[in-house]
Amino acid sequence: MTGLTFNDLHKSFGAVHALRGVTFSVARGEAHACVGENGAGKSTLLKILAGIVRPDRGDVRLDDVPLHFSGPRDALSRGIGMVYQERLTFPSLSVAANIFAGREIVGRAGRLDEAAMRARTQALLDQLHVPVSPDVRMEHVSAAHAQLVEVARALAFDCQVLVLDEPTTSLTDAEVDHLFRVLADLKARGVTILFVSHRLPEVFRLCDRITVMRDGAFVGTFDRAATSPETIVRSMVGREPPERVERAAAAGGGPPRLSIRQLTRRPSFEDVSIDVRAGEIVGVFGLVGSGRTEVLETVFGLARADSGRVALDGEDVAIGSARDAARAGLALVPEDRQRLGLFFNLSLRHNLVLPRAVKAGVGRIHEAEEDTIARTQVRDLAIKTPSLARMPDTLSGGNQQKVVAGKWLATGPRVLLLDEPTKGVDVGAKFEIHNIIRSRAAEGMACLVVSSDLPEILALADRIVVMREGRVRGELAGRDATDEAVMRLATHEVEVRA
Amino acid sequence: MKKWWHARELSTVAILALEVLFFTWYLWPGAGQPHPFLNVGNVLLIFKYSSIYGIAAIGAAIVIICGGIDLAPGSVIALTTVVTGLLFVEHGWPLWASAAVGLLVGIGAGFVSAWLIVKARLPPFIATLGVMGIWRGAAYIITEARFYDLSARLPRDWHIAGVSVDWLGPIVMLVLAAVFQLLMTKYQWGRSVFAVGGNETAALFSGIPVHRVKTSAYVIAGLLAAVSGVVLAVVQGQGKADLANGYELDIIASAVVGGASLAGGRGSVAGAVLGALIFGVLRNALPQIPGATFYDRLIVGVVVIAIVVMDQVLVRRES
Repeated sequence: MTGLTFNDLHKSFGAVHALRGVTFSVARGEAHACVGENGAGKSTLLKILAGIVRPDRGDVRLDDVPLHFSGPRDALSRGIGMVYQERLTFPSLSVAANIFAGREIVGRAGRLDEAAMRARTQALLDQLHVPVSPDVRMEHVSAAHAQLVEVARALAFDCQVLVLDEPTTSLTDAEVDHLFRVLADLKARGVTILFVSHRLPEVFRLCDRITVMRDGAFVGTFDRAATSPETIVRSMVGREPPERVERAAAAGGGPPRLSIRQLTRRPSFEDVSIDVRAGEIVGVFGLVGSGRTEVLETVFGLARADSGRVALDGEDVAIGSARDAARAGLALVPEDRQRLGLFFNLSLRHNLVLPRAVKAGVGRIHEAEEDTIARTQVRDLAIKTPSLARMPDTLSGGNQQKVVAGKWLATGPRVLLLDEPTKGVDVGAKFEIHNIIRSRAAEGMACLVVSSDLPEILALADRIVVMREGRVRGELAGRDATDEAVMRLATHEVEVRA
Repeated sequence: MKKWWHARELSTVAILALEVLFFTWYLWPGAGQPHPFLNVGNVLLIFKYSSIYGIAAIGAAIVIICGGIDLAPGSVIALTTVVTGLLFVEHGWPLWASAAVGLLVGIGAGFVSAWLIVKARLPPFIATLGVMGIWRGAAYIITEARFYDLSARLPRDWHIAGVSVDWLGPIVMLVLAAVFQLLMTKYQWGRSVFAVGGNETAALFSGIPVHRVKTSAYVIAGLLAAVSGVVLAVVQGQGKADLANGYELDIIASAVVGGASLAGGRGSVAGAVLGALIFGVLRNALPQIPGATFYDRLIVGVVVIAIVVMDQVLVRRES
């Protein structure tokens, strides 16, 4: 048949079976989604398609001709263009140079034909409606435009199949709209699209058929018209998505444990005041650019505020560094666990005990004590690992996130700050992480959760603070907040106070 | 529970053992003659020679694990011999006081590198490249083409507590290696060094005083280079500006052969000392092979690459 066929693919990495017999087809000219939890095998599938990883068994065929997997060039020469989740750009080179990196147009005697590449780049950018000059350096291009430049790079060479891996994670709604218009346009011109994503609304918006993978195996391919997001989620996880859990303790009053007063750091945010009581979970919702992450980082001492105060249990605290913050009893679980949260050269045990040891200022390390602390966290958070001596990169995304949370919970904080605590983790781990946050709050911790995941905020928070363009635009009680009400505040509505 | 004497150092020990076995076999003498390689005098010679850069390699390993690089130790060694020699020979200071000032010079040199890297935010390679020239230059300015003959004021055939001064370098190296191996594996400071080298941003977010940790690494590297310098001055009886020329590369190579990753976050102090011994044996044995003199440097280069490649293959197999 015509199109892209994955034929009985098997792949193991050591003892891990990443793929166990995946077979499905993407018809020519359709938009096809591939969905699944983290660890379902999507990344491995894409790596095989790109020629980065060789399958142990099985093959991939394009129009019934097998791909050879001799390297990324093979896929490209067959007209398969990939847009990876990670940015693979060269920041110091121009947009045109990025698009042609490794496949430059050369003239006689091997001279680079800059004019031709520039012209071709301009044409591609026009086609995608990207208002960026081919000459501007990549580091000056915004995240959304950089994403489209990567699409342009994939399209530059007679692309018949365009593969996108989680392309919308760092885009705002308007930017997603733009990307989708571009993709719809490409599809209309006969380009086959393979779209890998967590976000079901986007999948349903764009794709004709949806293939679900679970634990490295093929579950099924569904027609959009004949299925629903609930069905897809059920086949992804084998259970219903989590519901909001009401907690009795949250309703209680009492003085605020963490009190943020008129905190300002221009140009990120201005005049932000938030109170969090002991035992309370306060959610901060905002879209990209609302200043939500910056507020957390400033409270945690990673950036200096222009003005405003932060008080713990009624007393002003001066926090100038993460060290001060930890000593004062704050803990921050950062958004980017790869970059900010984990040490990939240290074992899980050492990762789990590090902030606690730093906070306590210990000299000699007591291995038995370390072991107890690490074991406690692994047990409490249900971190799935065969051994504490493992390195963090052997864990799934959800378990990595639990390690990041665990290393801070081990410090016994009074206030827990969480930035996008479940970004990029699968549905099951998400539910577990929510329960961890709830149980810590029940023990009396004050929890401030920043998230751009609206269902998460609605399911988790006792109160919801909505930010837009660096200001608090409103506050809602978690129990009666609706996604519409929150989204209105986050996008355009005037201020309200609950 | 992971032992501090874990797998990576064992493979370095194995390489060293293989190397010793090879030269023992290759240089096996005719009947009735003493073994030119395997005898007490020669082993002491190897240790004595290796200890000069072995001590500094301990510091280099710490800096590299911390995610940096230090090109200055050769120059710091030379400057330390000169300062110690100047005070001891020209000004008639007691040896301990001259040596103490020499060590302070090393600490100061470490602080200068650390300041350039942490405060002025220079890349470590550039900062220490510049610093390397400055200390070497300072040594030349002080000596003005002379050299200080410490041996004239030191006792002949000097023994301290019944031990020949020839053993000073090896003993200092082994003691310091043990101390820093412990500090790096059993103390929070060492853990922080690994953390900063492994992921500096995560270290900052974890409340580790990143600047202080980096500064400590460069100051220790400076101090240990100065210790090498003092040992060299005392054992060789000289304070001279062109001593230890090019040692920085041997020092870095020792740390790398001993398992330190230039990407930071990996390595060990014990490995660095073993690495220094691997080079010491090569440098000692190769000249004893007839006709090998001209191949000396080439072989050393090939060995560095071979060991690091082998290491990467092993690491890949593990994962």
